[in-house]
Amino acid sequence: MNPSISAAERLARIQINACLFFRADWLERLIEIFGSAQEILRQDAQTLSHEANLNRDTAARLLKDAFAVRPQEEWDKTAALGGHIYVPEDEEYPQSLRNIKEAPIALYVLGTLPAEEQACVGMVGTRKITPYGRRAAAKLAGDLAQCGVTIVSGLARGVDSECHAAAVRLKKPTVGVIGTGVGRCYPPENRALEKAILQHGGAVVSELPFNSPPNAFHFPRRNRIIAALSQPVVVVEGEIKSGALITAKLALEMGKDVLAVPGPIDSPQSGGPNSLIQDGAGVVTAAADILDYIPQQLRFGLDPRFFEKNPHTPPKPEEDLTPRQREVMNAVGGGQASLDQIAEALGADVPEAASLLFELEVKGFLACENGLYSRSKF
Amino acid sequence: MLANVCTGAIKGIEGFAVSVEVDIAAGMPTLAVVGLPDAEVRESKERVVAAVRNSGFDFPNKRITVNLSPAELRKSGTQFDLPIALGILAASGQLAPAAADKIKNLLVLGELALDGSLRPCAGVLPMLISCKNLGKTAVIPPQNVLEGQVSGTAFITPHTLKELALYLEDKLDEASVKLAFVPEPEEAETHELDFSDVKGQALAKRALEIAAAGGHNVLMIGLPGTGKSMLAKRFAGILPPLTQEEALEITKIYSICNLIGKSKLLTRRPFRDPHHTISDVALIGGGSTPRPGEVSLAHNGVLFLDEFAEFSRSSLEVLREPLENGRVTISRAKETVTYPARFTLLAAMNPCPCGHLGDPVTPCTCSPMQVSRYKARLSGPLLDRIDLTVNLNPVKYADWSKKSEGETSAQIRKRVLAARDIQRSRFAHSATPANAFMTPREIKEFCPLPPEADNVLESAMRKLGLSARSLDKILKTARTIADLEGKENIEVKHLMEVMQYRPLDRKGVADI
Repeated sequence: MNPSISAAERLARIQINACLFFRADWLERLIEIFGSAQEILRQDAQTLSHEANLNRDTAARLLKDAFAVRPQEEWDKTAALGGHIYVPEDEEYPQSLRNIKEAPIALYVLGTLPAEEQACVGMVGTRKITPYGRRAAAKLAGDLAQCGVTIVSGLARGVDSECHAAAVRLKKPTVGVIGTGVGRCYPPENRALEKAILQHGGAVVSELPFNSPPNAFHFPRRNRIIAALSQPVVVVEGEIKSGALITAKLALEMGKDVLAVPGPIDSPQSGGPNSLIQDGAGVVTAAADILDYIPQQLRFGLDPRFFEKNPHTPPKPEEDLTPRQREVMNAVGGGQASLDQIAEALGADVPEAASLLFELEVKGFLACENGLYSRSKF
Repeated sequence: MLANVCTGAIKGIEGFAVSVEVDIAAGMPTLAVVGLPDAEVRESKERVVAAVRNSGFDFPNKRITVNLSPAELRKSGTQFDLPIALGILAASGQLAPAAADKIKNLLVLGELALDGSLRPCAGVLPMLISCKNLGKTAVIPPQNVLEGQVSGTAFITPHTLKELALYLEDKLDEASVKLAFVPEPEEAETHELDFSDVKGQALAKRALEIAAAGGHNVLMIGLPGTGKSMLAKRFAGILPPLTQEEALEITKIYSICNLIGKSKLLTRRPFRDPHHTISDVALIGGGSTPRPGEVSLAHNGVLFLDEFAEFSRSSLEVLREPLENGRVTISRAKETVTYPARFTLLAAMNPCPCGHLGDPVTPCTCSPMQVSRYKARLSGPLLDRIDLTVNLNPVKYADWSKKSEGETSAQIRKRVLAARDIQRSRFAHSATPANAFMTPREIKEFCPLPPEADNVLESAMRKLGLSARSLDKILKTARTIADLEGKENIEVKHLMEVMQYRPLDRKGVADI
């Protein structure tokens, strides 16, 4: 914590930060004009609109929103979860975030933020994940985490969760930038994941007031934080118009590298990454492709084995499988297959196919979604 | 003068004897019915007056009081017309003295038309069964002859009030007032709808076979056009036949609802498929005068709920009691009744609101939120009562055209019957009709697991997110699969198969 910021000013910043309809850089300008956040809050709407050249209604709304927040309560509740609320003057406030145009006025952080010299890769994608996306996300995020990279993502359904989970499974830190206040968990099924992230030295970050609900406009906004914290940003899956592509655009504007995981041309969820590749984004076929884009000064401590490229080695045959199980894997191939299709390919009846699929699923070779089986590993 | 005629009424699905006391006294000409009559009983006054006159008798111009005893029980139904009319004739001395003795030995049921002819009424079978021990000869409308026959009581079926009077005065012999019961020739077990019509969908067919064999509830999830309704319609064809006792139970319910066919006992298991806009009361039973709902009409049979997630939330929740207990208890201000409702639930739904989730051709347009909200319409406690969940995936045309004929319903039914035989001897000393209805104690007794099973169950819980509370379901279903194979004990492969039918995963959550 920076002692140059008084406690009162810190609380005022937390209040000002709650004016969500205001862009962070405008708020910063206001603070500059008035000298401090406390000073802003001392104004009435008229002086505020006059001094800062604001529309009268806007000024009134700003004050209304600011006074709707009880800063001490925000502080206490966050502290009760073991968290902090940082302002840009704090040295704990991430340097990479401080540099961007719209740096958050206040940042709610649970857990531990990655150190400045820590390599961070942003991995983003659709909530409507396909089995291919699941495999790709889990594989790439797993390899990166194993290598020592911190995965930054949005803790949403689909690709985000898959990337965080891959890191958490290896007990590696990962950062989730969420679109609600840190006092909430959205989507609710990710509660366990969020807990695990904190348990393994990761962080959950938000610029929103403690109890903010998951409003639609929060999500594109938090994407800039993901982009800012990462280098490079990888788009795993996403439609051509999607939040993942917003993140990619923001990252490009910040001068970050954007990489994309190519996908089938007939899959709408791969439309986004494929179009990024057409526009010149780097192609990701293995973790090494991503690691190449990590700035030199951040590579210290990363496992060098993952930098070796051998993308064209065929996938390892599943060694310890029985011939019959291998037949099932072949029948599934790279796509999805129902039990009926597998049973027919094998000439098996339902009970036999069911037993084979159960064993393969439990061993983690296959995953089942809505009755369709697909490979869960590369 | 006073006359007394015995008749019956219904409470729940049981009948009880009612005595109709008719008193005729001097005074203002009125006809008063007392003894908690419902609207239809009060209306019977008008029918009785006309029927008596039109049968060639005089309607006494006196003060007539009709009391229905026991007076504290509510009486509904139209069967009181005939006993009231008969009582009036007897009390006004229009019948020969010999008739009075005969009346004492009669149980009289029947609705009257204005011309004095008898019309069918509801609930004859349960009333006859309940009053059997009174040892009386029943008088029932000719249209209810089947129920008379089934009940096993002595009965006569006069066509008109006049005929009944003549019989009582010994002017007609019993043969001429008793309709001979000609059972309809037993239909050969042909079902126009056969399982071999459905191409592919081996897994769903297998699930239905297990459901039929063990009485398990099934949820089918599939894209539109994958054959959910087609399979459901064929499900009745692989069910085992009703036992005598079961047939009687459901015939009683159908009798109360006046849904009985003319001359045939219900021999097929009922198949009810209410529309998803059904009201809670129509589904579960009720009304100010309670009547059985669809769940009771499906007793011992199948309740098919298509578009399961479109049913109102409250309708789905009221299903929980019958699914758990096999009966519904309906409490109203007037009375509390219990109807049997032990059915196999067959539910079908789309995977998402637009119906295309997982469709390889048409992409789904629903947001993940909409999908999870759609699935969340089915509450956990409800899903806990569904043993088998199957996903149906579209059959590609290439597969469809080359697929050979599948098994016929007759072939599947043979295995189902064999499995039911095993269960019958297993549950010889208990009230449990099939594996799906086993009590926890029975599960413990009849579902011992091989030692290797621990491994399977443990990994299923860890990897597939199966909850401990679904363990009972798994064991019951595995028991049925073992029965289908004629195996004495549950084996590991049976358990593994059950895992295919695991519930709707609400997952979408990455494994940690």
